[in-house]
Amino acid sequence: MKSRYGASPLHLLVHLAALALAAWALLQVLQLGGWERIVIWLVGAVVLHDAILWPAYATLDRLALRGRPAGWANYVRVPVGISALLLLAFFPVICGKGDATYMRVSGESWDGYAARWLLVSAVLFVVAGTLYLVRSRSGSSS
Amino acid sequence: MRTPPGPFRPEFWKSPLRGPWLTAVFGSLLLILMVAVALTGFLSHAAYQPDLGRNALVGTDVPFTTFFDWPTGPSWLYAFTQGLHVTGGLVALPLLLAKLWSVIPRLFQFPPVRTPAEGIERIAIALLVSSTGFLFATGIANMQYWYVFRFDFVQAHYYASVVFVVALAVHLVVKVPVALRAYRSRGVLAPLRQSLAETRQEPDGDTLALRPDPPTVSRRGLLAAVGGGSLVVLVANAGQSIGGPTRNLAFLAPRRSGGFPVNKTADGAQVTEAMVGADYRLVLRGGASELELSREELLALPQATHTLTLGCVEGWSTRQTWTGVPLLELARRAGVPDADELLVESLQPAGVLRQATLARGQVADTRSLLALQVGGQDLTLDHGYPARIIVPGLPGVHNTKWVGTLTFRA
Repeated sequence: MKSRYGASPLHLLVHLAALALAAWALLQVLQLGGWERIVIWLVGAVVLHDAILWPAYATLDRLALRGRPAGWANYVRVPVGISALLLLAFFPVICGKGDATYMRVSGESWDGYAARWLLVSAVLFVVAGTLYLVRSRSGSSS
Repeated sequence: MRTPPGPFRPEFWKSPLRGPWLTAVFGSLLLILMVAVALTGFLSHAAYQPDLGRNALVGTDVPFTTFFDWPTGPSWLYAFTQGLHVTGGLVALPLLLAKLWSVIPRLFQFPPVRTPAEGIERIAIALLVSSTGFLFATGIANMQYWYVFRFDFVQAHYYASVVFVVALAVHLVVKVPVALRAYRSRGVLAPLRQSLAETRQEPDGDTLALRPDPPTVSRRGLLAAVGGGSLVVLVANAGQSIGGPTRNLAFLAPRRSGGFPVNKTADGAQVTEAMVGADYRLVLRGGASELELSREELLALPQATHTLTLGCVEGWSTRQTWTGVPLLELARRAGVPDADELLVESLQPAGVLRQATLARGQVADTRSLLALQVGGQDLTLDHGYPARIIVPGLPGVHNTKWVGTLTFRA
């Protein structure tokens, strides 16, 4: 069994049990209104990461590193990465995407999210730049 | 069969940091967070008490019913569990991205499947990645009021989390031995002691580079950067759950404005001034008779004042001092002093959440009120004037506003 299947029968049984439960949940989804959109989002989440997000940041990183000494790369990578992470996690508030709904729900409007994101990003860049200056002056690099 | 170019070729991969130890570290940290996020998610499902009345938001044939009554104490219980769910999920995002980065060469493995075992494993992995991405994407959009998905968030998020939990369980069965082997052979923390100059590729594993570039960052440096990302996201959002001065610190939280936030305006709920004017009567049902009480009559009943936290499913909370008639007092007047459950109906004409059913323990708690005032002032219309429910530990939207009818059942 092991030679042809590639693992123990237990491996097969555990996977079959999990797939059966997952299939039940997915069958429930197919009965919901707008199930086509749910399926699109399930597939889209993988496409977003594997075909857009990862290739984008990996390519940018390779281009940024090309032909340059490795020492300074992290001073750019870390603040740019955290700034992009904030944009990813808070895209709807930063771009005011839920503004109309928020107004209807709370009676208030969102103000200054994009400005605060840019401000925090600027602080990250300044801190990284200062660290780079201090460390390159003192001659040590990490 | 020829290997396609690009990432399908082993020489494409250059990072000397990828390896089973690094994946195990990201995976372990992510696991701790995701277990907390999943547990608090299912706890939120339980807190809505889907077994009572028309509380259920997910299909009533769901076999995972709750085995316990949601407690009424501490009053910040739901604010805590749901704050942990939302902020914990956001904090897990950088770890998720780092974990996926560490194993991405496996996505391009060629040939994709060598044995039936590997094939079925890859199906399970596809379900895990897909459900995780779905939960993060819909959760992030929903907590920021961006209903771009145009499907029922609660139901879709619930069933996707079932897929996530089973896919994660089988992933753990397969991969925990791999992670433990990496910890045993490299040491749990030993690779963190290596400086950039000492950083080498791990000796074995299925995500290693064929010809690695020299490292540009140490493993501890990479971990610190990912942890730094989590920390910044934590600061950006946690204040809306914790409240107080941290609310101002939460620079990107959707609910960072101070005061007493409104969850649904009267306008949005189509509740008008005319509906709550002098003609307003609270209908009290219980025994054989039906009672009608004006707001003045409610104010003349024995009052109690309690400071209680209101926690929202979106992960924000507010702590206020409420004054009103204890639900127990109203149960007595309705002729059902030992009520088993209470159906609360709002004047709000439409919407799933215009009604909620409370459990025996929630009616019996002396801090549960039909609140008439908050902070020593009459409720504003947006906060539920003339009368609203406040029950300690109850999810925000079940603290029904603009209460029209209370039906106590023995």
